Amino acid sequence: MVTRKLRELDIPGPIRSAIVVGLIYFFLVGVSSLEAGIKIMGEDTQERLFSTASNPIAALCIGILGTVLVQSSSASTSVIVGLVASGALGVDDAVPMVMGANIGTTVTNTLVSLGHIRQSNEFRRAFAAATVHDFFNVLAVIVLLPIELVFGVISSTAEWISEQLVGSAGTEWKSPVKAWVKAPVNGLKDFWETVGTSGNVQGVLMVLTGLVIILLALTLITRNMRELVADRVERSVNAMLSRGGGMVALLLGLVITIAVQSSSITTSILIPLAGAGVVTLRNAYPVTLGANVGTTITALLASLAASSPESLTVALAHSTFNVMGIVLLYVIPLARNMPVVAAERLADVAVERRTMAVAYVGFVFIGLPLIGVVTLG
Amino acid sequence: MVLAFFKGGSGDGDFDHIVSKSVGMLNDARHSFDLATMALLTDASPDTVAQDIYETDQRINLTEQELRSELVVHITVQGTTEIGSVLGFTLLLKKIERIGDQAKNILELAVNGVSLADGPGAEGRLAERQVLSTLFAEAAELLGASDPDTATIDDYAGRVNAVVDDYQAKIDGFMTSDEPGREVVPLAIYYRFLRRIAANLVGVVRTSVEPVPHIDYLEDGTVDTDD
Repeated sequence: MVTRKLRELDIPGPIRSAIVVGLIYFFLVGVSSLEAGIKIMGEDTQERLFSTASNPIAALCIGILGTVLVQSSSASTSVIVGLVASGALGVDDAVPMVMGANIGTTVTNTLVSLGHIRQSNEFRRAFAAATVHDFFNVLAVIVLLPIELVFGVISSTAEWISEQLVGSAGTEWKSPVKAWVKAPVNGLKDFWETVGTSGNVQGVLMVLTGLVIILLALTLITRNMRELVADRVERSVNAMLSRGGGMVALLLGLVITIAVQSSSITTSILIPLAGAGVVTLRNAYPVTLGANVGTTITALLASLAASSPESLTVALAHSTFNVMGIVLLYVIPLARNMPVVAAERLADVAVERRTMAVAYVGFVFIGLPLIGVVTLG
Repeated sequence: MVLAFFKGGSGDGDFDHIVSKSVGMLNDARHSFDLATMALLTDASPDTVAQDIYETDQRINLTEQELRSELVVHITVQGTTEIGSVLGFTLLLKKIERIGDQAKNILELAVNGVSLADGPGAEGRLAERQVLSTLFAEAAELLGASDPDTATIDDYAGRVNAVVDDYQAKIDGFMTSDEPGREVVPLAIYYRFLRRIAANLVGVVRTSVEPVPHIDYLEDGTVDTDD
């Protein structure tokens, strides 16, 4: 039969699951190392490093650029959680950053859509499916960032939830996970001490080690989880194709993203399907929104390895922001079509002038945030 | 559909579901063929079977579209390791869909007033119809087999190709016949439809085992493009 498969070489599921558990532990060690490294640096250095983030627009732009750089909002928000846990970054500064991370993460599927650039109709569909996610996230920031700056709705909601779960801000939260990762983090600290480092140098090395561990662990978690749940994802997408989009598609995006720990994977699966005409833009759109919420699970996980309630507050702020965005821009029918129409219009322009598509990516994800950081930071 | 994610089992990671639906499509195509030929080769009224044949054809087309989408989803989610199988299946589905179309074409001959129920060769045509119908069943069995051996496939292909050659000889005969056009033209058209059905049946079975570059070429190396 044509069904010959090469999967015989695959790692068995239970072993792969065990590997994922190990990688999650590795990831939590990375977050804790990052936090420890920042704490080693001292308050003066922290102040110099993170003063740029006190301007919310600059913080937003840092969030976009940082996420574009690592191509993963899971990674960048986990780093933000680590920074907040160390006390180097306040919750108010971190919230615009996680909003920026939301925008930055959409660069991956927009880049994927550029792979269809040679076929006009295919490109129109793929580019629209990718940029509908961009438009939704940008629109959510345009609506929610001013509200947050004036009323603090997102941070206070997140803070309230956090208080119910682990206690009020400023207190030390005795996370059991923190205790589990203490030994390897102390081991790393001892290692850098034995090679003769101390103070800021040791802090920087701890931070860099933490970053490498976070990125490596997340990459491997995503890769392994994708293998583990590929059949389930396929089955779910097929079920969605036969029954349409809506809130159920949104839930599907949420579930798939939680499973693979990456919204980029979920949304990037949709782009070739949209390009081939298998999924319509309107059916793909809610899946990307579910992916937005699903990806916040990683920062929540990272906050378990942190020692302050503020880190959990920031992780919850990420989830709250995305849920509020959906309530305001998707549940309300009048707003629902705006990102779809904008994406369709932009796709029409991009098909007419392909350079516009490349310019759009360069401007929105690199040029504009760079200008923001340089001028406002 | 969210619950579909949590269901156990290997599910859509393999092609069993596609194979089983392809076999269903082939059985549907056989059903259409049996009804259409019955309308043309006997005194049965085409009106009594037309609705059934059109609905069956629509069902075949919808299943083809659905399975093609599933194949695109499969390659997108699982990666390109199985691209050869996916291309093979895409072609196989198209061939089954074509068989359904040819059966519908036979019905349309009857609907347009052609009847091959009487005259010389009427008995033989009914016997040929039965042979071809049986070949449908054999194709479905081979398609559904988990690992059919090459010898069985070759044997089947050899027998169907002999039938194809026989139909072609008949078509050639009608093309040069001195008989009136109103008698031989419908026969030539009918046998041409049969020839395409038989050729596509071989294609369906071959596609399930052959490497992609060789599919759609006849044994002498010429291209089989006449779908």
